[in-house]
Amino acid sequence: MPMFGMATIELFAIALFFVAIFGLVTSNNAIKSIVFMTILNASVITFWIAIGAREGTLPPIMETPDHIYRIAEMSDPVPQALMITAIVIGFSVTAINIIMMNTLFRRYKTSDWKSLYDMMRAETVGSGKVLSDIVFEEETKEGEN
Amino acid sequence: MMDYILYALMALTAIGLLFIMLERRVYRIIIYTAIFSLIISGIYLVLGSPDVAMAEAAIGAYAIIFLIVVAEKYYKRDRIDAKGNKVAPVTIPKKGASLPQILLGFVFVGGLAALFLHFVPTGIEANLDLRTDYLLLSGEQVGGQNVIGAILMAYRLYDTLFEALLLVIAVMAVSHLSWLGKDYVTDGRKSDIQKDKVAFYSIRIISPLILMFGIYLIANGHISAGGGFQGGLAVACFFICRYMIHNIYDMPVKKVLKMEEIVFMALVVVAVLTIFIGSEWVPYQHTVLFQNFQLIAANSLVGIKVACGFFILFYRYITIERTEK
Repeated sequence: MPMFGMATIELFAIALFFVAIFGLVTSNNAIKSIVFMTILNASVITFWIAIGAREGTLPPIMETPDHIYRIAEMSDPVPQALMITAIVIGFSVTAINIIMMNTLFRRYKTSDWKSLYDMMRAETVGSGKVLSDIVFEEETKEGEN
Repeated sequence: MMDYILYALMALTAIGLLFIMLERRVYRIIIYTAIFSLIISGIYLVLGSPDVAMAEAAIGAYAIIFLIVVAEKYYKRDRIDAKGNKVAPVTIPKKGASLPQILLGFVFVGGLAALFLHFVPTGIEANLDLRTDYLLLSGEQVGGQNVIGAILMAYRLYDTLFEALLLVIAVMAVSHLSWLGKDYVTDGRKSDIQKDKVAFYSIRIISPLILMFGIYLIANGHISAGGGFQGGLAVACFFICRYMIHNIYDMPVKKVLKMEEIVFMALVVVAVLTIFIGSEWVPYQHTVLFQNFQLIAANSLVGIKVACGFFILFYRYITIERTEK
């Protein structure tokens, strides 16, 4: 049953997007948040692939010369080519996310957002510092040793 | 028939998402994420995009999982603080999301959804001219049979270049952020996989096949599904397998970094040279040999570049995992 002039799979991708945002804001574990970021990426990719598959779902590969007569059944190659790029960029974002989490973990020994927030608050409030000052201090101290 | 497969896959995806949302133990979340990525790559396959399905399966079900497992293994260790006391790490939250959190989440997501419903453009029409052009003319203009490969390696080579550049930036950021003065890698630690003989020998048998598959994907990227990215990922996977079974940690990272720089420069040169294709200066440009050579060269460069980038990323994470503190 199409709604808003969209197919079911496109609506499914949009629903996946909102569920991923919901998981992102309600998860207590930082690793779980990173996992939901990857799901967010996957939902956007699903949406574009679904848009490209409106005309047909035959892969856009000309295996035989006769395939040139079947281009009406083929899916759109342009979003697919762009989404391969998007997947690799999403991976880069995840790698940087995990390494930033690692930097926080070295200092606070926890990946629980609540404890992290409490500890950061205890260090920064009243001392007139911001978080980047503390992390930078730590790095220079370790570099000297 | 295809519709029913699609509905079944969507239902499985929803179940996988529910499992991820309700789980608090990190190792299980990692496994569920791998399964989720595999199912969603099945959806891409049904929708007629085998290249994207291959990339998503490789990235979601092995590359990201590898990174999270390594980070989680690092988090799990006991630490010693400045006073000499043991500090047990908190990797699993003591409780799940509280009621105010869930309510706030619903309000936030509901607001976003309301905005979306208010501004939803009904009846989006995709512009089909570009699609028809690429599908009809790519065989003649660029060569090869895989239209996606033609778009990635010829029509939109600069997009590919930008994406390779982003991977370089990610490698630089990870190398910089994971560098901390006190790190050193201890010698002689056996990896856990060596205790399990079945896993050890199966990886040993599979890993050359993975390398062959990667090279096949790169070399055949212009005539079938696959290409530089997917093949490069498979080649990087081969190095991870080697690390797991042979316990090698002194890999030639500086040489690989040098190679990545050189290959990236070569890719830039190829991208600049493609401007001249289509002009009268380039002889034989419409022969099959020339076109295939150009596509295979671009695919190989991208493949080597991606393999080097992923190799360095994996190596940095392995260094984190092996660091004693």
